[in-house]
Amino acid sequence: MEVVIASSPVDAGIGCWDLHSGAEQLRYRSCTSTPHGLACVGQRFLASSQLRDSSSSSGSILYWSWSKPQVEVKSFPAEPIHPLVSNSDGMYIIGGGSSGAIYFWEVASGRLLKRWHAHYRAVTCLFLSDDESLLVSGAEDGCIRVWSLFMVFDDIGMEMAKNPYEYSFSEHTLRVTDMVSGYGGCNAIIVSASEDRTCKVWSLSRGKLLRSIDFPSIIEAVALDPGEHVFYAGARDGKIYIASINAETTSSNSYGKHIIGTLSDNSKGVTCLAFSKDGILLVSGSEDGTIRVWDAKTHNIVRIYRLAKGPVNNVLVVRRPLYSNRQTSENSHSSFSRRHAPLLPPPLGKYVNSTDENVDSGAVSVPQTPSSDIMDAPYLSYHVLTKQISELQVFFIFLS
Amino acid sequence: MAVFEHFQNLYDIRLKPRLLRSLIRDRVPDEKHPFSKPSELSIVVSAVKNHGLLSESSREAVDPKHMENWKSSIDAWIERLLLLVSSKMPDKCWAGICLLGLTCQECSSDRFLASYSVWFQKLLAQIQPPSDSHFVKVASCASLADLFTRLSGFSNIKKDVTSHAGKLIQPVLKLLTDDSSGAVWEGAVDLLCSIINFFPSSVHRHYESVEAAIVSKIMSGKCDSNISKKFVHCLALLPRSKGDEDSWSLMLQKILISINVDLNDAFQGLEEETKSNEVIKHLVPPGKEPPPPLGGNKMQGETSNQATEMSEQLILHRISMLMLCCCRMLTNPYPAQVIVPVRPLLVLVGRVLMVDGSLSQSLLPFLTVMQREFICSELPLLHLCGLDLLTGIIKRVRSQLLPHAADVVRLLTEYFRRCALPALRVKVYSILRILLISMGVGMAQYLAQEVVSNALVDLDSIAHGCGEASSTPCSKAASEGLLLPSYRKRKHGTITGFSEEQQGGVGTEMEAVKGKPITPIAVQTAALQALEALLTVGGALRSECWRQNVDLLLITVATNASNGGWANEEKDIFLLSDEPTSTRTDFQLAALRALLASLLSPARVRPPYLSQGLELFRRGKQETGTKVAEFCAHALLALEVLMHPRALPLVNFPSGDHPDFGQGFNCKFPKNIFSSGLKNNSPFPRGILGKDEIEPESNDDELYSSWLGNDEETEASASIPDKHLESRQELSEKDGRLSTEDHQAEKHPSDLPAGAQFPKEGDRGATDAAHMETGGIKDSIMAQSERVQEIIPNNDVRLQDKDVMVPTGDLTANVVEPNKGKIESSGSDSSKATPALSSEINNKVLMAAADANALPSDQGSLLTTSIVIEKGKKLVLEYNSDASKDSFPDIVDGEPDSD
Repeated sequence: MEVVIASSPVDAGIGCWDLHSGAEQLRYRSCTSTPHGLACVGQRFLASSQLRDSSSSSGSILYWSWSKPQVEVKSFPAEPIHPLVSNSDGMYIIGGGSSGAIYFWEVASGRLLKRWHAHYRAVTCLFLSDDESLLVSGAEDGCIRVWSLFMVFDDIGMEMAKNPYEYSFSEHTLRVTDMVSGYGGCNAIIVSASEDRTCKVWSLSRGKLLRSIDFPSIIEAVALDPGEHVFYAGARDGKIYIASINAETTSSNSYGKHIIGTLSDNSKGVTCLAFSKDGILLVSGSEDGTIRVWDAKTHNIVRIYRLAKGPVNNVLVVRRPLYSNRQTSENSHSSFSRRHAPLLPPPLGKYVNSTDENVDSGAVSVPQTPSSDIMDAPYLSYHVLTKQISELQVFFIFLS
Repeated sequence: MAVFEHFQNLYDIRLKPRLLRSLIRDRVPDEKHPFSKPSELSIVVSAVKNHGLLSESSREAVDPKHMENWKSSIDAWIERLLLLVSSKMPDKCWAGICLLGLTCQECSSDRFLASYSVWFQKLLAQIQPPSDSHFVKVASCASLADLFTRLSGFSNIKKDVTSHAGKLIQPVLKLLTDDSSGAVWEGAVDLLCSIINFFPSSVHRHYESVEAAIVSKIMSGKCDSNISKKFVHCLALLPRSKGDEDSWSLMLQKILISINVDLNDAFQGLEEETKSNEVIKHLVPPGKEPPPPLGGNKMQGETSNQATEMSEQLILHRISMLMLCCCRMLTNPYPAQVIVPVRPLLVLVGRVLMVDGSLSQSLLPFLTVMQREFICSELPLLHLCGLDLLTGIIKRVRSQLLPHAADVVRLLTEYFRRCALPALRVKVYSILRILLISMGVGMAQYLAQEVVSNALVDLDSIAHGCGEASSTPCSKAASEGLLLPSYRKRKHGTITGFSEEQQGGVGTEMEAVKGKPITPIAVQTAALQALEALLTVGGALRSECWRQNVDLLLITVATNASNGGWANEEKDIFLLSDEPTSTRTDFQLAALRALLASLLSPARVRPPYLSQGLELFRRGKQETGTKVAEFCAHALLALEVLMHPRALPLVNFPSGDHPDFGQGFNCKFPKNIFSSGLKNNSPFPRGILGKDEIEPESNDDELYSSWLGNDEETEASASIPDKHLESRQELSEKDGRLSTEDHQAEKHPSDLPAGAQFPKEGDRGATDAAHMETGGIKDSIMAQSERVQEIIPNNDVRLQDKDVMVPTGDLTANVVEPNKGKIESSGSDSSKATPALSSEINNKVLMAAADANALPSDQGSLLTTSIVIEKGKKLVLEYNSDASKDSFPDIVDGEPDSD
């Protein structure tokens, strides 16, 4: 089931709606998320980094399982964490700290595997490349850096390398507000938005700026058309600008060069954007607490959800596994499902623990259902029969 | 009897009971007559299987009477089988058991559910004393296994079946311990595997005894390797019968400790003694009790008694079998979440791979020469197991390899440098491939150098095996990375050498004569596959240092591989033994696949060997009905996008149920690709897809409408300032190459297409007229070209030359058509187009330069491609500048004359 999940910096919980039917699902309570601080970890559970008042020195990351509204696991990292991402199989959670450090946790054990200084100012957004071997981080000072995760874990290689990062882009002059990356592994493009009122398109393979587009307003969120023909930029003025990524455009347009249209319904500022899996429905979160679903083909609003009085600052479109829906049927084949029931992992560790490195270096392997497919287990008797017949024939020939 | 007298055709169900009855009558043995021909049984089996004689089902509704008749015939069949199973004669009993197994598999569900319990009892009796025929026991095991396989499909009777299966364990274990025939062991272990697979909980109570029985079989080393592998498989499955995390981890821990102990014996004197403790330290955390030995305490007593007289042979056998078991445990799915002890596993693999038979420094005189010789002879096998285990680890932990990735890479690269045996190299290549594909570009950056340098060495013989006297120094250069000059030289060498080259096999033979090692085809295939993986994931990022060499290598290898003709797949099938061997077809396929990756992997300029590659794929596609043809068709499809790149907008297609159809925003979008102002990495599309605006009425086919541009658009593109800039930059870059190309073209006039040669003899007299005709455009071309292309001093000449061609009429239609457009344009609005066109020309010249960069022999086809695609006035310019390329040699030759 494809669902829209959304959270807000004011305590409105995490809203969850079925994208296609529009029906609201469970609302997960007590969440005041940071921007980019909501993640769905391997489709198994939700995680969100929380806004903290400035007095507290530690951060807070909360977990919710799909089936319960209450917070199930609370972690308190060493500093407030802003953006939070997880890799696609949900093995790792990566968070960006307010000091500019990046934290890398193993979900199953909760161990903090790595912490490194990535930026001079707070990290504002993070994402993993297509093949999940590169991490891209953006910071408050406008700096964007590309990290090879292998390099990060290779202490020996790190010492030999000139820079710990692959690329460092400093063309943005103010805070980076959002980034997305396209298709194509190491040949992908990155689109970044910043408070300096520009969006920039980068080539990952060449480490170069391809295009910079000036917008009439600050862009808070970007989403990439899956065909990478255009990208959508949600602005503080309430419009979603459509900008061409690579096409030639004339400057005759009323919005500016490369901007070829808008989606707009005169609402308050757009804060976050996400595409559905079909690449047609675009979901936007707004300052006014609503979430709009647009049809990118027709430019019409398909649906509006209401999350909170305050602004929405995260929307995600995720696939929710079906088992959480069948809580009742789960009990029927109990032993099986208890084994499979998504027990949430332990809280995330605070510090990199170097002492236990020798003892515990296990990798957690998720349960796999053994294939009891009959196709896998061919019937034996026929082979045995033919084998024995040929043996017998040899025997008879030998006798005669 | 009248019911089954008639039947319509072979599908009529009235035929089935008839057939079945005659089988029972004529072929199935009975009590009275002696059973002389066991081969009769295979006729029975195939008849039953082909006609579905026991299925009791039909596609269409049938007369219940016919169904009844069929049913009664099956009743008779089963009655006969049960009679046979109870027979005193072992051969008849055997026949009955086999056919009962077949019946389990073939009969209808209802019948099966109604009678499986009876059949089970009958079969169970046959594996217990007093039955003593091996044949009967083996057949009973197989039939029982099939019974349970079929039962696994019915989840509603699971409890009942589990208790049945539980009754079976003791007798099966008894077969394993008491019987001495390998065939019986095999049958028993197969049955055990089926039960663990489908009804794991039935084994739960007997866990320890099953473990002990299997382990003792593996450890004894008395069974042949095939059966040993089955025992290993069964042991790896065993934890599933408990299905919890602990039993899996415990089993793995016990196996690892056991391997480690055996390794201590095997590697005595060949490695530092501390190595052993290192693994143990990771396996058993300090302060914790080590687990009981594998197979239970009784087992340990047995082995320690034997230990003294255990041969090296047996130790190595046990190590390899247990490593295989680890590997199986890692790769088999397991129903519970488990923690894979990655670190100890990696340390163990490292321990095995690092022993190469050289004596350890500290302890010299432990080993006799004989012992060492034996170890060295067996080491490759052990290494192979180690590499398999490594593969298993990588497959199991997936993304969680990340923290250990650097260690794995270091271990592998160090091993790869020393590893010289073909089978091992193949395995290392395959691991590298898995790592690259699963871990992406980050891994590619780590492994690129290693993969490329090793592959260059392994593919050296095929890449330039014969026709080159300087093969040895070249190969050295190849492994160290080629420089541009030598690369140029080599390119021509290989092209001219194509005809001389026979095929891979011959090439390697010749190498061997020169005293170089023959690289087996399997290694070459593996090297190609590794290169393919490297290009697939990491072709774009920081690949400059190796990319050029690899591209050249791959086109050369692919061309050479196909030169002896495409391999005959049928022939390969006949040669095929049980062992998976790498055939010439595999090699050719690998070469083509790697070539496709090299062409498709992102690059900043057009792939230099594009047209040769296309030619290869076209040729390969003609091999109807082969894998090569299949792949070539796929390759041509994939490459088409390279030719006509498309970034297609989201279009709102008209559809009935869409209420707000109509205002597709996208029809206003100018259609273009990643182009001019942005990215100069694809000069080709820039010229073609161009700056064309879509025509409003054709918004249903974006790509099509983008072709139909009009000239107004070019002004817009010219207004982008950085485009000029870039074009100029690129041109000046290209200048150097252009001039070399020019000289080459001069040296190989025969490479030029016929059309280009024609103007050489062309009528110079017409020059003036043509000059007049081209008018304003030509001036702008001149201005631009002169600035950037000093090597072509006289631009007039080449324009004129081409114009001359039209009247002669000796050109292809493709070339003539754009010329018509040209005349039109120069007549009407050439002046208006001037500023825009100049940049356009710039681009086209650039394109020509890029084209010229490709091999001269294929210029013709490139030219055609680009021209055919273009329509409208831009064609003129496109054409002219392309023409300029063709006429380069002409100009150089003819310049003095024309002035």
